[in-house]
Amino acid sequence: MWWKLLLFLGMSAMIVVSFTVPAPQPTIGESSRIFYYHIPQAWICVLAFAMAMVYSIQYLRTKNQSFDDRAASAAALGLVFCILATLSGSIFAKVTWGSFWNWDPRETSIFILLLIYGAYFALRGAVETEERRAALSAVYAIFAFVTVPFLIFVVPRVVPSLHPADSVVDKNLKFTMGTQVRLIFFSSLILFTLLYLWMFWLANRVQSIVRRREERD
Amino acid sequence: MDGNYVALGVTLAVWIGLFLYLFRLDKRVKQLERKN
Repeated sequence: MWWKLLLFLGMSAMIVVSFTVPAPQPTIGESSRIFYYHIPQAWICVLAFAMAMVYSIQYLRTKNQSFDDRAASAAALGLVFCILATLSGSIFAKVTWGSFWNWDPRETSIFILLLIYGAYFALRGAVETEERRAALSAVYAIFAFVTVPFLIFVVPRVVPSLHPADSVVDKNLKFTMGTQVRLIFFSSLILFTLLYLWMFWLANRVQSIVRRREERD
Repeated sequence: MDGNYVALGVTLAVWIGLFLYLFRLDKRVKQLERKN
């Protein structure tokens, strides 16, 4: 209970502070504030897809159906946060570059990622047998995650892009942010992670209730 | 009105709405878990 209250107050405070306290970034202005939301959303997307891969490996090792449920919940939340990161990114693109979508390498790679994980759910929907669905989607989730670091971290740095590349760290892996911005940014990162874990935990509890009911009927 | 405050208000409203939804869902799930 206490941590939910802490999450509520912390996130509310972070939202107010992110819009009122730090000065706008000199080159991109007020639109730089989206950074406190866009990067944590993209981080949750990577975390959730990684968790989907880990639970898929666990499913293949144990054949325990609950691991498949967890992998599906993690992938679903990852997809939601991926869509949110895409939307917040295109708002930033509109303000900074004048268009919501430019087929910039970063935009193209997140679009491909959305298609890959969209296909994961198409695959789950297409197979009726539970064990077969779980096994096929577990293998798919493992291969799908291989593309995540490549699409999110490698492609946008190899191909010339309009997207700011050194928002968090520079080429020498040194923090580019001032103390105030760093504090708000990492608070946002922690709070978004907590929010994701809460949503993931809730999704799993709902799934186990459904499973228990199915077994009983 | 300053656009920053409009964006702040919208973001806060979305967050409060999401939190209330998750909080109610959590309570409902707890009730269902007790029943089962």
